[in-house]
Amino acid sequence: MVRRRPAILVLEDGRTFPGEAYGSVGETFGEAVFNTGMTGYQETLTDPSYHRQVVVQTAPHIGNTGVNGEDDESGRIWVAGYVVRDPARIGSNWRATGSLEDRLATEGVVGISGVDTRALTRHLRERGAMRVGISSVDNDPQSLLTRVRQAPQMVGADLSAEVTTAEPYVVEAVGEHRFTVAALDLGIKRNVPRRLATRGVTTHVLPASSSIDELLATGADAIFLSPGPGDPATADAPVALAREALRREVPLFGICFGSQILGRALGFGTYKLGYGHRGINQPVLDRATGKVEVTSHNHGFAVQVPGAGSGAVVPDQVIDTDFGGVRVSHVCLNDNVVEGLRAVDVPAFTVQYHPEAAAGPHDADYLFDRFAELIEGRALSKGRSNA
Amino acid sequence: MAYPPAARSSPPRQPSVKVILASADVQRVVDRIAHQILEKTQGAADTVLLGIPTRGAPLARRLASRISAFEDIAVPVGVLDITLYRDDLRRHATRAIGPTELPSGGIDGKRVVLVDDVLFSGRTVRAALDALNDVGRPASVQLAVLVDRGHRELPIRADYVGKNIPTSLAESVKVTLAETDGADEVKLYGGTP
Repeated sequence: MVRRRPAILVLEDGRTFPGEAYGSVGETFGEAVFNTGMTGYQETLTDPSYHRQVVVQTAPHIGNTGVNGEDDESGRIWVAGYVVRDPARIGSNWRATGSLEDRLATEGVVGISGVDTRALTRHLRERGAMRVGISSVDNDPQSLLTRVRQAPQMVGADLSAEVTTAEPYVVEAVGEHRFTVAALDLGIKRNVPRRLATRGVTTHVLPASSSIDELLATGADAIFLSPGPGDPATADAPVALAREALRREVPLFGICFGSQILGRALGFGTYKLGYGHRGINQPVLDRATGKVEVTSHNHGFAVQVPGAGSGAVVPDQVIDTDFGGVRVSHVCLNDNVVEGLRAVDVPAFTVQYHPEAAAGPHDADYLFDRFAELIEGRALSKGRSNA
Repeated sequence: MAYPPAARSSPPRQPSVKVILASADVQRVVDRIAHQILEKTQGAADTVLLGIPTRGAPLARRLASRISAFEDIAVPVGVLDITLYRDDLRRHATRAIGPTELPSGGIDGKRVVLVDDVLFSGRTVRAALDALNDVGRPASVQLAVLVDRGHRELPIRADYVGKNIPTSLAESVKVTLAETDGADEVKLYGGTP
C-alpha cells in the first residue's frame, strides 16, 4: 500500500474534512461542486466547464478503469481539484494506458482521498456550492480557511478566454460533406464536433474572441455556441455576437454555456443554481414530443425566463422577445429548471444539458439531427427565396 | 456393488460458520445507516433513536454518535424494553425485565427510529410497537436493523437495513458487538452443507 500524506479540505463556511493526498501534493482552491456520475471520470476531469471548480465525486470508487488515450474531452485536465472517497489501487481496462492518480500527479492536479464524500455532498446540497481549499502541505484548517476566503468567487467569473483555443482548427465531416458550422469555442468538448461530423457537418472551431464576420468567413451555414465555464452574466461579447446572428437569421445552436448566451441574447437573465446539476442521469422533458430523456448535465447557472427560477413549472407558452416568439422547449423534471429554448420566428435553439453525452446516456443525440435539419430547412427556404 | 466402507465412516460434517460482516464492515454499515437516517429525516430533526435490548441499545448509541460526528447534531437516544409485550411470554420461562429509558424530551410528536440487530420474524418489532404505544404517541415510527435475514411472519419491514442476508430457516444469524460481546461481527451458522 502506498503511504499517503495527510491532507485537509476546508470549505468557505469553515467545515473541515480530513483525508489523504491524492494526485499531486500541494494546495488548490476553487468552487466545490459535486458530480453524481458513476462513470466517466476521465471526461469529467478534462471537461473545460469544470475550470476553477473542485469536483467531488459522489461515486465512492474512482479510478478503477484507469485513464486512456481516447476519452479526453480537451487537451488537459481542467478541474481545479479532485475529491474522492476510495481511489482504486489498480486501474484495469482493456483501453487503459495508465493510472488515474499518475495522470493527476503529472498534470499537477491536487486531490484528496478518503474524504466522507457523502457528508460533504449533503453539506453542499443543503448550503449550496461554495469555495473550497485542499491542502496536503498545510494541515492547519484556520490558515487554509483564510486563503479559501480570499479565493475568487464563481459569480462574476469570466473564464472563456482561459479555456478557449488559441488557434482556429477544423474537424472534418465523416463521409459526405453536407454543411459547415462555425463553433465559438468558450470551452468546447471534443465530442461536439465529433457528433456533428457524423451528420456530415464540418466544424470550424474558432477562439472566443472571434467576431461574427470571422465565424461566417469560414463559409459557415450555421453558428454553434459551445459549452464552457464561468458566469454567463459576464459574457457580453458572445451575447452581442449571438444577437447579431439572430438579427441576420443565421441558424444557431447552443449547448450549456452557449444556451445561457442565447438566453441573454434573447433578453432573458441568468442566475446561479443552489448547487447546480452535475451528473449523467438527469431527467429532462422534451415538450415538443412529450418524451423524457435521461441526460448528462454540468451547469451551475441557468436561464431565467418569466415565471421560472423558483422551482415552479415554467408555463408552456410562446414568450415574446426582441427576436420574436420563444418557447421553453426542455425542462428538468427534478427542479423545473429551464433546460432548453427554441425560437419560433428565427432559426435558433439551445439546450442547457449535454446531448454530446460524454460521459452519459445518448438519449439526447437527436438534437444534433435537429440542428442539421434546421440548417437544411434554412438552406432550402433560402434557395426558394433566391429563385 | 457395495460402497467402499471408507465413504460410510467419513467424519460427521462440522457445522459451517461464515463471517458475513467483519469488524470494519460493521462500522462501515453503521456509518451508512447514520447517513441514511440523516437524509431520510431532513437532518434528523425531531428524531429519537430507541434501541431494543440487548444489542439494539448499543447500536442506537453508535448511530447517534456517528450522526453527531457527521453533522454535529445531538440526537436523543433511549432504550425500549419489550419483554412484557412479547407474544411468546406464556411459552417460555420467565425473562428478566429490563429498564426502558426514554430521553428527557419524551417521544410524543417525535419521529422514533427503532433500532435492533436482526430482523427475522418481525415479532420483536411488533412487540416494540405495542411497548411504544404505552409510553407515548410518536409522530411516526421507523425501523433500522443491522441485518435483515428474511422469513417475516408479520407485515413488517425495515426503513434502514445494514445488510440483507438471504438465509434458510435451518441457518442462524448471530450478531456480536464490542459493547456486549467484545467484538463486532455478524456470523451465519449451519444450514449449508
